[in-house]
Amino acid sequence: MATESDFKCLRCGHWFKTNYEKNKPEERTCPKCGSNSVRPMPEKKK
Amino acid sequence: MSENVRIGVFVCECGTNIASTIDCDKLVEYAKSLPDVVFSIKNRYTCAEPGQQEIQKFIKEENLNRVVIASCTPKMHEPTFRNCVIDVGFNPYLVEMANIREHCSWVHHNEKSAANVKARDLVNSAVSRARFLEPQKELEVPVTHSALVIGGGIAGIQSALDLAESGFDVHLVEKEASIGGIMAQLNKTYPTID
Amino acid sequence: MDVGRHPKINLLAYSEVEDISGYIGNFKVKVRKKARYVDEVECTSCDDCVDVCPVVVPKEHQLGLASRKAIYIPFPQAVPASYIIDEENCLGFNPIACGKCAEKCDKNCIDYDAKDEIVEFDVGSIIVASGLDVYDPTEFDEYGYTRFENVLTSMELEILTGPGGVTKGKLIRPTDRKVPKSIGFIQCVGSRCESRGTAYCSNICCMNTIKDTLLLREYYHDIDCKVFYMDIRAFGKGFEDFYRRSKALGVEYIRGIPGDIREDPKTKNLILSVENTTGNGIEEYELDMVVLSVGMVPRKDSNSINKLLTLQTTSDGLLMEVHPKLTPIDAPTAGVFFAGCCEAPKDIKDSVTQASGAAARAASILSKDKVKIPALTATVDDDLCKSCGICVKVCPYSAITIDMKAKEPAKIIEAACKGCGTCASECKFDAISMKHYNDAQIIAQIDAILEENPEEKVLVFACNWCSYPGADLVGISRMQYPTSSRIIRIMCTGRLDEKFILHALKLGAPIVLMSGCHPADCHYINASLKAQLRIEKLWNKLERKGIRPERVQFEWISASEVGKFVKTMEELEEFRKSVTKKEIEETKKILSKSKK
Repeated sequence: MATESDFKCLRCGHWFKTNYEKNKPEERTCPKCGSNSVRPMPEKKK
Repeated sequence: MSENVRIGVFVCECGTNIASTIDCDKLVEYAKSLPDVVFSIKNRYTCAEPGQQEIQKFIKEENLNRVVIASCTPKMHEPTFRNCVIDVGFNPYLVEMANIREHCSWVHHNEKSAANVKARDLVNSAVSRARFLEPQKELEVPVTHSALVIGGGIAGIQSALDLAESGFDVHLVEKEASIGGIMAQLNKTYPTID
Repeated sequence: MDVGRHPKINLLAYSEVEDISGYIGNFKVKVRKKARYVDEVECTSCDDCVDVCPVVVPKEHQLGLASRKAIYIPFPQAVPASYIIDEENCLGFNPIACGKCAEKCDKNCIDYDAKDEIVEFDVGSIIVASGLDVYDPTEFDEYGYTRFENVLTSMELEILTGPGGVTKGKLIRPTDRKVPKSIGFIQCVGSRCESRGTAYCSNICCMNTIKDTLLLREYYHDIDCKVFYMDIRAFGKGFEDFYRRSKALGVEYIRGIPGDIREDPKTKNLILSVENTTGNGIEEYELDMVVLSVGMVPRKDSNSINKLLTLQTTSDGLLMEVHPKLTPIDAPTAGVFFAGCCEAPKDIKDSVTQASGAAARAASILSKDKVKIPALTATVDDDLCKSCGICVKVCPYSAITIDMKAKEPAKIIEAACKGCGTCASECKFDAISMKHYNDAQIIAQIDAILEENPEEKVLVFACNWCSYPGADLVGISRMQYPTSSRIIRIMCTGRLDEKFILHALKLGAPIVLMSGCHPADCHYINASLKAQLRIEKLWNKLERKGIRPERVQFEWISASEVGKFVKTMEELEEFRKSVTKKEIEETKKILSKSKK
């Protein structure tokens, strides 16, 4: 089941939340800088 | 490597497209300094007939078994150079290209010195890859002698008719209830008024 | 038309392509032939059914001036010349309500229970001629297209004055049905506009308006024609002459696009205010009728075809060819060609020309008995394969079989393998090798690039279909970006094994980028998403090892996204400068210690 999870953009460092499902990748874009290098950070703290 | 690798590097000036940014003479010298490179030369236009003839000539004369062409993108002339070497009985998979035009001279013409360093790296990368290239045999598959045309507007109709007249079966798929597309709704059309 | 009768042409009207699989020379096609409820072969177009049909609805594209029945022929010269039942309005689907047309039809052509039919066939080549749509100017609210009846589009004028039109070719103004005394044309509605419609010039609208003015002046000598334009583009053979004739006939060309249109509530005349850029500033014109010269926009329904054939579009939504000058008709997908407006807006002559070109290109394949498939497939080393089955699971094409119980090594079905390399990247035992993109070849390239001053370089793995040609297009456009990038071509990001990235970091690469097709454009179904998942796992692994995950980045860059490519290279160059020598040395140490 997809749940909302934390993501960190590895380009600009921006943290945001979006849908995440383990082992079900989808195209994601950092809302701040537009990069696709956004890392799922479930259970990780800032 | 069990066999003795003999690489030839052909550097293309592409008129001034490459030569105005990249020092092609120096690039040739650099290529010659790389291991297993036994021959290197520059051409004004490697893709032109004289350039291709040179590749064929030096494959034979220098007994080359790998060919590296430093020129434009392989998306453009890889098929050209593959066909060129096939003509002299050379396996097309033993040709490698270094893209020093689209990925180098055209995008760094204000930074000549760094662009020349990059061109050397791209040639080194291609030569290093060429060392490990292997001849390949392409799978041949039979062709179904019919075509699908998607869209029954004026373009689709013309394509379908031309193919059908050439003797091929054509499946013409149109989404609407009738073919004709936008053209069918037009009254009179330019440049002749009919 | 000849198409309906040609013995070599199988016409599938009212049909949609549902699925295409396979490859050059051997495509498998599945088409849904939608139920038209009338047998198109038996139907003789006698019109008896139409006479008895009790349902009257407004006819399409006739400004509400004409009607049709629920069973109808789209237009007089329709091919196939058969009726069709409009499901939404017909009452016959409820047998108690109606059944008049079926009773009346002598040949029993009408069947309310008809179902969609699936037709399957094989082809060797495909021509995409899916066209463009006429722009709907509703969003240009200042022109009152939906509020003022006497404002129409150029397409509506065409239909209204055409032989199929309700007035049988006579020009009338919708509100009073009289021949208008004055008519204005507004050019570039929905074209050459960044915010509404399209940014490109739609190519045909100038000439279409010029043609309209010539026709109007020919039939109605005293009609006052005004054309409001920003530039008149009359660039084809005979076009300039056409433009001159129009001006000589007294058509007035005013350089300026009207800011708005108001309607006189009594006369229903239209008042345009416009800044005449060759005159004295703001001018007002009162006209009987206004025609919005609308451009062409991508069809909303073309996405499904583009996806089935993995075709990419420009940012404007036009199909991308292999090369704009040398191979303007070929799609990047081998065996697929373009004809007509789907590639770019065209007039009839250019559409027909390109269509013949596409047919010739297709024939160059169809006339052969065999075609060669690039030797890029996977091969299995039987000694290394442990029959774990992961390759079978990840292959997007089900091109690998394995008998896990018998511990038989995996087998590649060569004709089905497209060479994305996902299996080779996922195999934990290095048992799978890709022809022409094997480990030794890729490692050799990484070694060569990082041989000298690795800390100054941004290593990029770019896929053959999107990011590599995207970088080419940056060059063709002569855009400039930092010199630090070094691109290695792979067929698909699916080929990018984490060992290549780790190897590069171990050699001192400050940063590695994987760049490929947007998952929706991936040429290997879902291989790029699998690559994304591998990078996500690699980030966790790097973090555990004490290496900043930021050193490995990925980006989806299509063949047309030149701006994104340049921006990425600029950002990564900035990022590269922040990676210190000390950090690189530490990474090298960490990676030389660990085994895998």
